[in-house]
Amino acid sequence: MTPEHNEIVDEVIDDVIALESLENQEISHEITLHAEPVTAIGNFPVTNALITAWATVVIIIVFVAILRTRLKEIPRGIQNFFEYIIDGALSLSDQVTNDRSVSEKAFPLVFSIFLFILINNWLGILPFGGFGVIHQESGVSSFIPFLRSGTADINTTLALAILSVIAANVFGILSVGIWKAFNKYINLQTFVHAAKNIRKDPTVLVVAPVSFFVGVLEIISEFAKVASLSFRLFGNVFAGEVLLLAMAAIFTYILPVPFIFLEIFVGLIQAFIFSILVLVYFTIAAQDHDEHEEEERHSKVSPHHNDRGVVIN
Amino acid sequence: MESLISTFHIDWKIIIAQLINFGVVILVVYVFALKPLKKLMSERSSKIARGIHDAEANAEILKATTTEYDKALREARAKALIIFNEGKKEAEEKRNELLSQTATEVEEMIASGKKALETEKEKMLLDAKKEVASLVIQATQKILETEDTSNIEEKVAGVIKTI
Repeated sequence: MTPEHNEIVDEVIDDVIALESLENQEISHEITLHAEPVTAIGNFPVTNALITAWATVVIIIVFVAILRTRLKEIPRGIQNFFEYIIDGALSLSDQVTNDRSVSEKAFPLVFSIFLFILINNWLGILPFGGFGVIHQESGVSSFIPFLRSGTADINTTLALAILSVIAANVFGILSVGIWKAFNKYINLQTFVHAAKNIRKDPTVLVVAPVSFFVGVLEIISEFAKVASLSFRLFGNVFAGEVLLLAMAAIFTYILPVPFIFLEIFVGLIQAFIFSILVLVYFTIAAQDHDEHEEEERHSKVSPHHNDRGVVIN
Repeated sequence: MESLISTFHIDWKIIIAQLINFGVVILVVYVFALKPLKKLMSERSSKIARGIHDAEANAEILKATTTEYDKALREARAKALIIFNEGKKEAEEKRNELLSQTATEVEEMIASGKKALETEKEKMLLDAKKEVASLVIQATQKILETEDTSNIEEKVAGVIKTI
């Protein structure tokens, strides 16, 4: 026997011993707050949430490829359904933005977010949770499922939230201009306005610092948006997974079924909420605050008259 | 912050990976689904709008044509009525003219007939007179040949009867 053969034999013996010890050990299956790494590529951890996200991307690509090959002038089947969804979603967006052009510009991102979150949420509910790897760490074996809702990992929701808030701000800059967008956060315009109007209206001395502080609050609110978006989605989906696991632990059969339906609904609702909030951020970013203030000032200076000439305040 | 990162296992590498995932999704959805679908839908909408516009235009044309047709028909009927009335009037006049002409001609014919009859009568009378005269002469000659002049009138009459 060569040394190489000896090494192989040793490895086989180690594996057999490991298997025997596994059979004797109890494998824990606990849901963790973070996504579990299934494997690693170099020092990059491939978590089960990431695998779900990849599966989501593949599903979306396949769906889009099928749709693309079946595009016809007279819609049928999947195209008909997709057109119906797009039409309905655009109408819904119009109700939020009150402006078709804003809806159309924000729609690709908002709709993609909706699809990505929805499929991620639903993939986590699928009963593939039984498939996974057994991970041994310090003598304790734990089961790591291959699939976990992508959105049940804070990294995913954080990525989506950061992207959404940055995209909304970029959209705001493109819509109202860089100077106005900048003044929304660091309000230098209010000091310029104060310097011009200090003789006419000395109250600007009080208003200007307040306006500047409001700008600072706006910066904080942008971070709050990221936190609220990411933690809301993560919290809801993760809670759903915990709930399903808890129900399955109480009684494996039948009992989790109503909760699975509940989670399907929650997955849809959460995707919808996230998308609508992003759309709202886009709408707010596209609004020119100066114009609003001017309108309000104008309405205060010149009260409206009705057709009989009566002043309406 | 550190505890938050360690509790939730926030990993910038996974965040970037998820951003790439979502980037692929938005790219695929926008380029291969939304963009062509939107183009198709807008083309269809414009086609439908054009169709509706054409249909409306056609309806307008049809309405205008119908109105024009009705107007032309009304005008034609009015003209036809005028022509008919004129024709009727003309025909009446012609008839009256012909009737009067015929009456005149008939009167003339009657008059000429009467005149011809009168002439014929006169001629016949003249001929009769000539005949009578010649008979008288002949009778007179015959009586005179017998040289018996008594009761000459009765004899003449008797001779005339025999002739």
